[in-house]
Amino acid sequence: MFSKKKITTAYTVEKCTKCGMLKKRKFTEGDVLFSESSKCNSCGESNMIEKIFGEILEQ
Amino acid sequence: MLDFTNLDFDQLFGMKDDTNPLMMLVWILPIILFVFYGQRIQLYVTSGELKKGIKKLDSFRKESRNELIDYLKKNTSLEGDPVKKIDQFIDYFTIMPVDMDPNGIVDKVQHTVRAREDYTREHLKSISPQISDFELSKVQTLLEIASSLQMIYKIINHMFLTAKKQNNYPLILPLQMILPFIMEQAVAMKDAIPAFKLGQPVGDGIGPMVVGKMMLSCKKEIISFQTFLAKTNFEDRTLYLLKAEGPGSTVGRPADALDVITSDSKIDAIIMIDAALKMEGEDSASIARGFGAAIGGIGTERFNIEAIATSKKIPIFSIVVKQSVSEAITLMTKEIADVADDVSAQVYEMIQENTQKGQSVVIIGVGNTSGVPQ
Repeated sequence: MFSKKKITTAYTVEKCTKCGMLKKRKFTEGDVLFSESSKCNSCGESNMIEKIFGEILEQ
Repeated sequence: MLDFTNLDFDQLFGMKDDTNPLMMLVWILPIILFVFYGQRIQLYVTSGELKKGIKKLDSFRKESRNELIDYLKKNTSLEGDPVKKIDQFIDYFTIMPVDMDPNGIVDKVQHTVRAREDYTREHLKSISPQISDFELSKVQTLLEIASSLQMIYKIINHMFLTAKKQNNYPLILPLQMILPFIMEQAVAMKDAIPAFKLGQPVGDGIGPMVVGKMMLSCKKEIISFQTFLAKTNFEDRTLYLLKAEGPGSTVGRPADALDVITSDSKIDAIIMIDAALKMEGEDSASIARGFGAAIGGIGTERFNIEAIATSKKIPIFSIVVKQSVSEAITLMTKEIADVADDVSAQVYEMIQENTQKGQSVVIIGVGNTSGVPQ
């Protein structure tokens, strides 16, 4: 009756293979771990998907 | 007519010797009612709770079936309408071999389970001949979920209806006791559907995630059905890294792979990394080390790994990441994903502690490898 609604949001964490900079963004379909994704904003090297996880928000 | 405005309470509640007959009825009637109809009243009250649970189970099974059919229609090219065939698959049952004589039972169970898996795979291919192995593994997992939810609903509903039909309260008691646990599992299965549809890693994938990362720069080969092997070196030790073939949703066949490796090379230790069910009160994503084969499932893989290790006298070490049933089969939580590097460091520490230079170690990442390539 008083329980809050839980919503899970999936996130993808990318890590630059050169400078190690981390970038967290929302998960998009097709993301799989260890695959190359966007370019690093800091050094321009390619990012690798380091983690995919869900965070629960209570509403 | 009885005048309720002029009651003598002392007399009514039997405080005097001359007890009111009405008071006697107030005491005696409920006693008679509960003696003869107590169980029926309890059955009626409990039925309400159970009906709510069964209604939820019914909605879960319908939801999982519809999700599967929608997924097939949207993501695969189908030959005809899949609904009839999917409904047949969902209702498929498995009769486990007779265990009166347990000799050879593991092989029989393994044969039955693998035959079912092979049959499902081939028939799903017949629905959609162009389906890729990646999509096929996802559909197969969704089908397993729908089939399990259907089976749970049928069994619980059967037990409930039998108890109601017989007006048998004791029969409904065990059902009332197990229903919260069943509901926990059913909710977890229902919640697992989006993760498998999107090909996301689940909590159970922590083992393949750790080993997959260790494999990244290595040359990989398929060693057994849906199972990858990579060979590498660490401080003068040879490491054989094993995991299921990702990013599809599969657990591979690590026992078959171990059999191939141990028949070709001398192995000095086996390290298994898996997710383990946490106890109530334990922290989620806590890491624990131990001995013995850390692998779940029906038990055949574990039996075969133990048999190989025993015959070759290879010690088995395990590292497990604790999590709940729900966490194990739904999208990996941040806490579990964050411990991957720590688990990896503990694996290397374990290798240093338990093996000498020049020795060989097999490291197995156990679990569903959905969303985790190598």
